[in-house]
Amino acid sequence: MLSDSTEQVSRPVDPPFSPVLLAGLLLAPVPPRLLQPLFDGILTVVRRRHPDILERLAAYPDAVIGIDPVDLPFVLVLEPWPESPHLEVRRDFSGLSPSAIIRGPLAMLFALAEGRIDGDSAFFSRQLVFEGDTEVVLALRNAIDGAGIDLQADFATTLGPLARPLMQAVDFGGRVFNRIADDMETIRVALLGPALRGAVAQSSRLEEVENELAEMRRTLRAREKRG
Amino acid sequence: MTVPSVELICPAGTPAALQAAVDAGADAVYLGFRDETNARNFPGLNFSRPELAAGIAYAHARGAKVLVAINTFPRAGKPEIWHRAVDDAAKLGADAVILADIGLCDYARRTHPDLRLHLSVQASASSAEAIKFYHQAFGIRRAVLPRVLTVPEIAALCADVPIEMEVFVFGGLCVMAEGRCSLSSYATGHSPNIDGACSPASHVRYVEKGSKVVSQLGDFTINSFGQGEAAGYPTLCKGRFSANGKLSYLFEEPTSLNTLEILPDLIGAGVTAFKIEGRQRGRAYVGSVVSAFRQAVDAILKGEKLPVMTLEDVTEGGRQTAGAYQRSWR
Repeated sequence: MLSDSTEQVSRPVDPPFSPVLLAGLLLAPVPPRLLQPLFDGILTVVRRRHPDILERLAAYPDAVIGIDPVDLPFVLVLEPWPESPHLEVRRDFSGLSPSAIIRGPLAMLFALAEGRIDGDSAFFSRQLVFEGDTEVVLALRNAIDGAGIDLQADFATTLGPLARPLMQAVDFGGRVFNRIADDMETIRVALLGPALRGAVAQSSRLEEVENELAEMRRTLRAREKRG
Repeated sequence: MTVPSVELICPAGTPAALQAAVDAGADAVYLGFRDETNARNFPGLNFSRPELAAGIAYAHARGAKVLVAINTFPRAGKPEIWHRAVDDAAKLGADAVILADIGLCDYARRTHPDLRLHLSVQASASSAEAIKFYHQAFGIRRAVLPRVLTVPEIAALCADVPIEMEVFVFGGLCVMAEGRCSLSSYATGHSPNIDGACSPASHVRYVEKGSKVVSQLGDFTINSFGQGEAAGYPTLCKGRFSANGKLSYLFEEPTSLNTLEILPDLIGAGVTAFKIEGRQRGRAYVGSVVSAFRQAVDAILKGEKLPVMTLEDVTEGGRQTAGAYQRSWR
């Protein structure tokens, strides 16, 4: 189990400059309990549509998994217990000892849940980090990836006659989100472009110096052997 | 001139990955049961018997085959679950089983004489003599070659043996003698060759230390990744260690095999099947890699130019190599 101090660790994934980050700022004053019904609904739908997820996690009946969307001012705690699973929204992990904590931007966590991106690739590139019980994290990743979750389709089945207009609204919202995300990326590049170019130039120079140093060391070792 | 046919053999760790592989153009999907009878025995992964039955139905309906990997080595005196795996694969209509252990090869040959047998890479058969033995003794129809041979060596083998040859074309690399490596056993007490998991997740820890991530396997620190540095799997063979005062990857850097550019050479060598590694990867990986190799193989077989494709995003450590096929380090 992780120690209680885990929530004190600075978030090792930088939140991306995205609409989610702005939404997070707006959501900051909202008490987590007001968001709880939304996550209860998500768990209910996913549980009904994908019972195999809990079956694949049956070997971990006591697991408590922290999920930290780094661009939002709250965290999630998942207890994938076979008989009484629970997904709780909280301000942080204080007072808890999760078996493991997964951290990443919200959009990436959704993409992972829907199998649109590969978890290993996200981990290799350090856009997603986790700590704690690796076995539980891996089991959760495999269970969710293997279920073939499609959140939009999953929710559409529960909405009855409201599904079509609501899904159209979701599509529209998605397009607006993508447009804002593109605009924000343009702003980010404009603001950081000069600094990034400087960093790249410095990095290239550093690499050159390191190569020169390595060459000098090789030459020195060769001389020592000859001498 | 006869155009050679080449099968694309694709990984599936879950039913969703199987569907992704078949939909992306796999000729065959390989998978394992949810236990230690296969070499990707990771938590939450693999197939129950009903899932395998459904997967076979899905694949067969779309013209794809299903190969069941039963490629670990049975515990001495306790072969029952391995025997049951072979029996169930045959009963459920698998197109072949992929085996490594000679006792299991013998059991499958005697018990299910009509079942097609493939030799797993875990058997480490890399010589004509070894492959001919498996063929003559057990009727093995195809051998998956270890990732230690050059293309000319593979061509010589193909010309010398009477069975089909399958080679890995993409994914994780195993630099040790497959089926015989004991590094992970040494570090964890669990054998990849019997328990089915190299660097089992139960013994892996990732610890945040300042801006670095430190990976640990059992009592060993494997690696430490700085900010912005691509990470890799926590296996001892891909660890970064200090020797002669220098910190470096002693065995192998975190790198993935990618043979897109030498596929024509491998076809020319006489290879019958291309295997994509990665049953432990998600369905996004399976879909994108299978799709890329489907396009590449089709282009080659039609005599067209290889399409330009990048798979860097799904490689380990963000790096790729043609590995032993080219031995560019020599």
